[in-house]
Amino acid sequence: MIEEFNIILAGVGGQGTILASNILGTAAIMAGLNVRGSEALGMSQRGGAVVGHLRIGPAVYGPLVPEGKGDILVGFEPSETLRNVTLLSRDGLVIVNTRPIVPHTVSIGLSVYPSTDEILGKLKQYAQVVAFNATELAEKAGGVITVNTVMIGALAGSGRLPIKNEEILKAIESCVPKATIAVNRAAFKLGFEKAQEILRS
Amino acid sequence: MGVIDFLIKGSHGDMGLLMGNEAIARGAIEGGVQVAAAYPGTPSSEILDTLAEVANHFGIYVEWSTNEKVAFEVALAASYCGLRAMASMKHVGVNVAHDPFMTSAHIGAKGGLVLVSCDDPYAWSSQNEQDNRFIARQAYVPVFEPCDPQEAKDMTAECFELSEEFHHPIMLRPTTRVCHARANVVLGDVPKEKRGGVYERRPDLLMYDARGARINRVRMVQRFEKIREAVDELPYNNLELLDGARFGVIGCGLSYNYVREAIRWLKLDGKISLLKVGTTYPVPEKLITRLLKTVDEVLVVEELEPFVELYVNAIAKDANPSVKVHGKDLIPLTGELSTRKVTEGLAKATGSKLPLNYSSLDKFQEESMPLLPMRPPVLCPGCPHRASLYAIKVAAKKVAASDYAEGVKPIFSGDIGCYGLGYLPPIEAIDSAICMGGSIGLANGYAHVVQAPIISIIGDSTFLHAGIPALINAVYNNAKVMVAVLDNDTTAMTGFQPHPGSGMTATGLKTTRVMIEDVARGCGVKFVEVVDPNDIRKARKVVESALKHEGPSVVVFRRRCELLELRDKRKRGEEIIPFYIDAEKCTGCGICINPFGCPAIIKRDERFFIDTILCSGCGVCSQVCPYKAIARQQE
Repeated sequence: MIEEFNIILAGVGGQGTILASNILGTAAIMAGLNVRGSEALGMSQRGGAVVGHLRIGPAVYGPLVPEGKGDILVGFEPSETLRNVTLLSRDGLVIVNTRPIVPHTVSIGLSVYPSTDEILGKLKQYAQVVAFNATELAEKAGGVITVNTVMIGALAGSGRLPIKNEEILKAIESCVPKATIAVNRAAFKLGFEKAQEILRS
Repeated sequence: MGVIDFLIKGSHGDMGLLMGNEAIARGAIEGGVQVAAAYPGTPSSEILDTLAEVANHFGIYVEWSTNEKVAFEVALAASYCGLRAMASMKHVGVNVAHDPFMTSAHIGAKGGLVLVSCDDPYAWSSQNEQDNRFIARQAYVPVFEPCDPQEAKDMTAECFELSEEFHHPIMLRPTTRVCHARANVVLGDVPKEKRGGVYERRPDLLMYDARGARINRVRMVQRFEKIREAVDELPYNNLELLDGARFGVIGCGLSYNYVREAIRWLKLDGKISLLKVGTTYPVPEKLITRLLKTVDEVLVVEELEPFVELYVNAIAKDANPSVKVHGKDLIPLTGELSTRKVTEGLAKATGSKLPLNYSSLDKFQEESMPLLPMRPPVLCPGCPHRASLYAIKVAAKKVAASDYAEGVKPIFSGDIGCYGLGYLPPIEAIDSAICMGGSIGLANGYAHVVQAPIISIIGDSTFLHAGIPALINAVYNNAKVMVAVLDNDTTAMTGFQPHPGSGMTATGLKTTRVMIEDVARGCGVKFVEVVDPNDIRKARKVVESALKHEGPSVVVFRRRCELLELRDKRKRGEEIIPFYIDAEKCTGCGICINPFGCPAIIKRDERFFIDTILCSGCGVCSQVCPYKAIARQQE
């Protein structure tokens, strides 16, 4: 049994990082594991940068993933992934959605948004990276709103998670609206397969 | 099973994933709460949100009050009548409730009385990082600090018992990372007993007769002494004294978790004595004394102020004058703590080697920074506040140029709420936000010392919370200010709580809707208009007239929060059709971006486009565009 397993979920307010964190936490409890997590509420709804923490295992006390101790960073947006990468251990894994959400500061000339290649290059200097356009896969599954489930699928597809697929799928069913269970299952499958495909190659 | 179902159906021993605030709500129910009142504020809101959802099932009275003072008074009265009662609020909310709170311990508690003060280290969503343990100390109210959601639930329930046992109010003080933490929580029993309220006339307790106040103070101090004697025995304080350990750590509230992890990382297990403190006021003096007698050095770990540290220093004088007490010399005074910060402090104190090369992480972060665009929170796409602020800014500039001396700029006195985000570029139509209702109070002051258009910008819920006395002041003292009330039918910033202006109670009952324009007229304001902010042309005209009016004026900008609209549209299965920019018609003038500033409109590499993921389909940008280049996409 692992002592602790640390997941970081980084993205932009409105992308569903909180629901993703809830699904994973629920799944971990179903698996009989100790869970601690923390999320950004309040300001996060307004398109700001958000980061959620989810920690699993008997040695976990605090709600925040300590710097340099993350096992997997699930990045819903490229620049937000890079912003939080040092929470990850050098042996950790980055799963990143390559679809940028350009903040308004770029439009008004206060910031520059780098190319996706630049961001991925920097991420690869730090740790192993699984990168793909999850937003596109979500649209294929039935809607942009399922991007969080695509990312959960990819997380499961990494093979590193100490929780079984069945538990995650059961948690998804208990956390999403009933009418959307089918599309969420499809989204999970697309993310799962994509991560496996990338890791095999 | 959703959280609410779990809270309703779950029984003793059941385990589920709960947020700290949900755990506090359940703890209140297990503690027999019958009355709960609150005003929303991050990080406290979900406590009453949750209680409101389960109120009918458990047969408890739950209300959103107009402000924290009223919420605390509602709870105080219920306690006085013998019921267990709770008021919950964010830390700065306690400032609003400070007046009755200061006298509450003088009166004492008949039914268990708990004030939940959710403190916000690092000011994640607040105007300051105040440490409310000092307010509690000033009021002689004990402070319980839970370290995680499970303890938050257990402590809340026990606070009601203890409050009743000692006839004294208690403050529960979780911080952001307890309120908004999630963890597995095991439920306890829900009591069946329900009490009826009994009012007994006791002027000796409730009147400000001088003799009463003096006698009540003596009684309060005596009760507090009994609590001081009792806290060492509570399970929330725990001393792990190790044989031969010459170093001790005291972990207070949430910080205890960071201490546990730091000890493991630094491989100090078995070498350090550890005291967990859950009652930070009064501190467990006997346990602290025992620890101090066995060690040469001790490190006190707590967020924000050196509160427990001061007591440890005082106790050391008798217990062990040669002990070296560390605290804020090694643990940061500002911001929230983390395992890293505590590890660094403890490593320094014990001469241990750090488990990680933190400077290499910092270096990587520093190198990445220049690549990262700034992403502050912004007003949502489709937010009616953007349209209101745009109209106000354009009109105010025009009036400043025509009616005032050259170079005079309008003053935009802002308040607490989503619209505060309008201080950021490119909107920049908010200058300040210091406290609830402060927009109108400050404007009253500006009006008598500065010649400029003065505009107070305040939300509906904030206006009803603390804006009305200041508006009456403007009428009474004839201050020439325009008060813009941005009425979006909800308390949006904190998670869409209803308020007196939305005509709905916390538990979903229809009630009299308090109309802000009626309030303004009732206060004696002669110029009162209501506009739809999305009709920008009309809104501008009305603001211009209001600013030219002699004396105070009120303009209500009424349109429902776009996030609520979108939520309802999705429920109804309505499609949201985004807008687009016709590249042929777009001249690149940039008005849609600056000053209008909708984040769904993006300019990248000199190209303008609308991100369809972000666009809410409100279409206000198509009114702002002078070249008619923005239109709704074809269905």
